[in-house]
Amino acid sequence: MSDHKMDRTEPFWWGMFSVGGVVAALLVPIHIFIAGLAIPLGLLDPDTLSYEKMRQLVEHPLAKIYLFVLVVLPLYHAAHRIRFSLYELGVHEFRISMGVLCYGGALIGTALTAYILTSML
Amino acid sequence: MNRRRGERDHYEHGAYVPTRPATWWLRNMKYFLFMMRELSSVFIAAFLVLYLYEFFLLSKGSDVHAAFQESLRKPGFIAFYAISLVFAIYHSITWFGVVGRIQVVKIGSFQVPPLLVTAGAFVGWIAASAAIGFLFFALL
Repeated sequence: MSDHKMDRTEPFWWGMFSVGGVVAALLVPIHIFIAGLAIPLGLLDPDTLSYEKMRQLVEHPLAKIYLFVLVVLPLYHAAHRIRFSLYELGVHEFRISMGVLCYGGALIGTALTAYILTSML
Repeated sequence: MNRRRGERDHYEHGAYVPTRPATWWLRNMKYFLFMMRELSSVFIAAFLVLYLYEFFLLSKGSDVHAAFQESLRKPGFIAFYAISLVFAIYHSITWFGVVGRIQVVKIGSFQVPPLLVTAGAFVGWIAASAAIGFLFFALL
C-alpha cells in the first residue's frame, strides 16, 4: 500500500506552465527580434524604441497589462521546465525544495513585474 | 512523500534504482533536442528579465535609458538576442507542433482534424507576430 501523499499544488503549476508556454510560443520570438536584432540589422529606426516613445507606450493601461502577461506567464513556464530538467539531470532536492526554489523565483518575478509596471512607470 | 521528490528517497527497501550519467542526453539526437527544448525556457526567461529591466530603466530618465539602448548594440548582446531568438523559435515550433495531438477541437459534433488544429496554431503565431511587428514598424 502506497503512503505517498498526492501533490495537490501540481495541477496549478502545470496549468501555469501550459499557459506560459502558449504566451512564450506566440509572443516572445517577435519581441526578441524587435528588442535586440531589428535595430542592429538596420530594419528599425532606433528612435522607435526611444525613451519618449516607450514611456508613452507603457503609460497606457492596456500596454501594462500586456507587458505583465508577456513577462510573467513564461516565468512559470521556465520555472516548471527548469525544475524537471534538473531532476532529469540527476540533481536531487536541496535543503530548500526544488519546487520552492523554481516557483518561488517565478513568484518573485511576478511581484517585481507588478511593482515596476504599477509603481515605477 | 512527493513521488517526484528525489526518486531514490521513497524506495525504502533497497530496491534497484537505475542510475544514469548526467550526460545521458548527449547520447543521441532525440535526447539532445529534448534537452534543448527544455533549455529554450531559460533563454526565454533571461530575455524577459532583460526586457523588464529595459522598462524599469524608463523610470531612471532618458539618459540612462538611451545609454542602455546604445549598449544593446554591442556584439555580446546581439549574440545573446540571436541565440535567444533561435531557442524561442524552437520552443514555438515544438509547442505548436504538438497542439494538434493535445487539443481536441470540436465544432458541434465535427472534430477538426489534428493537422488543421496545428496549422491554425501556426497561423495564429504568424498573425500575432505580424500584429506586434506592425505596431513597432508602422505605428510607433
